[in-house]
Amino acid sequence: MIRLGQYLPGDTIVHRLDPRVKILSVVALSLLIFAATPVEIALISAFLAAVAGAARMTPAQAAGTLRPVAVFMAMIFLVHLFFTEGQPLLSLAPLPGQVTREGLLRGIYVTWQFAGLILAAAVLTLTTSPSELVGGIERLLRPLSRIGIPAQDLAVMIAMALRFMPMLLEEYDRLRMAQMARGADFTTGSLALRTRAVAALAVPLLLSAFRRADELAVAMEARGYRRGPRTTLRELAFSGRDLGAFAVIGILILATTVLRMTAL
Amino acid sequence: MNTEQTSLRGMVYASLFGALTAVGAYIIIPLPPVPITLQTLFLGLAGTLLGGRLGALSQVVYLLLGIIGLPVFAGGKAGLGVLFGPTGGYLIGFVAAAFVIGKLAALKARPGFAWLCLSLVAGTAVVYALGVLQLSLVARLAPVKALAVGVLPFLPGDGIKIVLTAWIALKLRDRIGGKFP
Repeated sequence: MIRLGQYLPGDTIVHRLDPRVKILSVVALSLLIFAATPVEIALISAFLAAVAGAARMTPAQAAGTLRPVAVFMAMIFLVHLFFTEGQPLLSLAPLPGQVTREGLLRGIYVTWQFAGLILAAAVLTLTTSPSELVGGIERLLRPLSRIGIPAQDLAVMIAMALRFMPMLLEEYDRLRMAQMARGADFTTGSLALRTRAVAALAVPLLLSAFRRADELAVAMEARGYRRGPRTTLRELAFSGRDLGAFAVIGILILATTVLRMTAL
Repeated sequence: MNTEQTSLRGMVYASLFGALTAVGAYIIIPLPPVPITLQTLFLGLAGTLLGGRLGALSQVVYLLLGIIGLPVFAGGKAGLGVLFGPTGGYLIGFVAAAFVIGKLAALKARPGFAWLCLSLVAGTAVVYALGVLQLSLVARLAPVKALAVGVLPFLPGDGIKIVLTAWIALKLRDRIGGKFP
């Protein structure tokens, strides 16, 4: 069982790629996914599956990374299913909203976008060690240092936030279950009651998060972490492999552009 | 505590609040008329608990998480496309709002409930000002129309969240272990 944001050491071609290549590929993928047409959906899905396969990510592991966000995925699907106007497929007479053809397609599309983005990010964190990830982000943000933005600090902070996110999601899930077992109800009752139920979730979530943050700060201090310019054990360098990966992403972008131009 | 230790702690807390704002997009509470997410709750807490500079930094971390491709923007979206799209102004507004909330709250040595609410109202206004500006520019909506679709439905939920944020901030500010430099 792996989690979103976890690193699994390995020796696949995806593991050995330069972190900058992997980060830029995810950025490019997020732009492609954002505006994907039906043909592109098939193309991008195939590409994601191929990369996940090359990284030796099993289907069970892929499903595992989607598990913490499954409730949210179901919710965005249902919202689009019921609240999109168009040709009705099914009416739910007493309830507001209806299932339309457009709603069904829109729901599938938005859910696919979300799952695709999560999987792309999961492959990145699964195959890139924390120090490589920080190094890669730092190099990409370095131009910002010239205008006074601390790129090194930002890179470390993004890497920390990436590891905080799955922890917070799990903690939230645990708290929600615990509160529901004690009879908490977020869907009925007066506004004041429901607001109090939200506070009863948020306060313990924040308190446990503060404890983890303090522990992390102490652990980093104890290991002698200092801010400011740093050197890395492994200097980043592009290899033929990385250029090949860039070429693959370039072909993907080109293919989607050509598809779009010919469709017009 | 020397300054270097505190600033490392400040960095850790800013990334924590970046991650909280991201995760907040997935926490949907069904409150009428429009379901609310906890994003702006964590945005408000970042400003009030961390101060203006660190609060804004936490929201920069949040934006960068989304730019890298994590689906952390509202509705599970990601990427630069969202930032430059019709709703991108709200996201850019998060950074400015955290700064404004933090600076306003810090005007008083130990702000009370009313002052915190006031700072949060100002922060919410900043989010909407930038959000509606970009909405009307990118989607070519008349400002009045943009106001009607981009602000009004969310105001009741925002009111509740402002009160809740101020209340939680008062409860937690002593647990966070003093001010950050």
